[in-house]
Amino acid sequence: MDVSRRTFIKTTLAGGVTASAFGFDTAPVYAQTQALKISRTSETRSTCPYCSVSCGVIIHTLGDKAKNTTPQVVHVEGDPDHPINRGTLCPKGASLEQEIYNERRLTKPQVRRPGSDRWEDISWDDAINEIARKVKETRDATFVEKDNRGRTVNRCEGIAFTGGCTDTNEFNYLVVKSMRSLGVCYLENQARV
Amino acid sequence: MWESRISRAEQLAAQFPAAQELLVFYGGLLSAQQEIYERLRRREDWLPSGALEIDLPALRVMLPRLLIAVNASGPEALATEAQRLLQSGARETGQLLLDYWRAPGAEQFFAKAFLQPYAQWLIETGARPVDRNIERGANRCPYCGGKPQLSFLLSAEGDEESGGRSLLCCLCLSAWPLRRVVCVNCGEERPAQLAYFSAPEYDHVRIEACDSCGHYLKGIDLTRLGLAVPLVDEVAAAPLDLWAREQGYAKIELNLVGL
Repeated sequence: MDVSRRTFIKTTLAGGVTASAFGFDTAPVYAQTQALKISRTSETRSTCPYCSVSCGVIIHTLGDKAKNTTPQVVHVEGDPDHPINRGTLCPKGASLEQEIYNERRLTKPQVRRPGSDRWEDISWDDAINEIARKVKETRDATFVEKDNRGRTVNRCEGIAFTGGCTDTNEFNYLVVKSMRSLGVCYLENQARV
Repeated sequence: MWESRISRAEQLAAQFPAAQELLVFYGGLLSAQQEIYERLRRREDWLPSGALEIDLPALRVMLPRLLIAVNASGPEALATEAQRLLQSGARETGQLLLDYWRAPGAEQFFAKAFLQPYAQWLIETGARPVDRNIERGANRCPYCGGKPQLSFLLSAEGDEESGGRSLLCCLCLSAWPLRRVVCVNCGEERPAQLAYFSAPEYDHVRIEACDSCGHYLKGIDLTRLGLAVPLVDEVAAAPLDLWAREQGYAKIELNLVGL
């Protein structure tokens, strides 16, 4: 009896919602539970894509893992456990969520013609065709097969390529392969993450 | 420290009618704990050794204060047991405390509630708790080995925009850091397995659950509400506990109202 009385409070939680393990009436608490609008989020560690500092971020995603719903990013904050930024973010990094949701974000290609003062929309097909034609024209016009000492160099000095800091490794791999195949030497990228 | 907990319990009892009974009881319990703590501090002729068995004679005389408080305001089951313990001998109550000290469990209400101020006093005197044969790890209190009662987020430096996570020990009530995005119970790190549940009614409190081990604890976000007192706000958010229980999650450490 001693042991069982000392530990009489070893109430199993299977007792459900009407009493706490110590005997409190939890009916009023349970009533409020039914009115709660509970939402599930997950936290994912990532790296800010904007510059070479590589700050750690935590991305909060809303979603209950249901197959018919799309998880939605609701917040991005600095990772307090990351040794580089210890929870801090620059103003640009702090606005990362906007990279996904801002209504002013460009979602289609645009072109500004020579001499024009405004950008105009262009279809993806037209943009790709125009770029391909200009690359061909420029390469043909500036391609250097041999240098002034007669050595074969096969380089294209009329084109330069610069990548952005949000480019993925896979994208950068393809950039290097395609630019080198054209003979482009002036190839730079900001991504050092 | 104890005053802020007590006044927060009074404030939240008025704010959350559903949890009023729990908070009124917990406020009374905190007052009893404060008295025990103050009596320990006032003793000039004695310092704790850290070995409960040795310190027990000096401590035991303070136990009735806590038992009387529980008997007066606790639910029937606790009140009855408090009454019985008041009439029991020193040997039984001593054994009750030693059992918890050596093999703690959240269901051992009286020992846990009584030893919290003692453990806090140990920290202040610099004595190390000894004779505690319990598991150690990053998710256990580095001082006494206690399980985490809750977590809280707090910006350690003023220029941080987000808070680092600390865990609050269920026994000595001290805090230690544990990185975020990891399950406190099993160490799971896959984001898809870690769930954070929140409700607008408790903007600064959330459930930090793990789908791998099925355990959870509540987190208090002090970057959202700096006035919160984690130990008390955790009790006030009792509906979240019931909700988590309904979803099949088990709490890592029950609090002193049994949720």
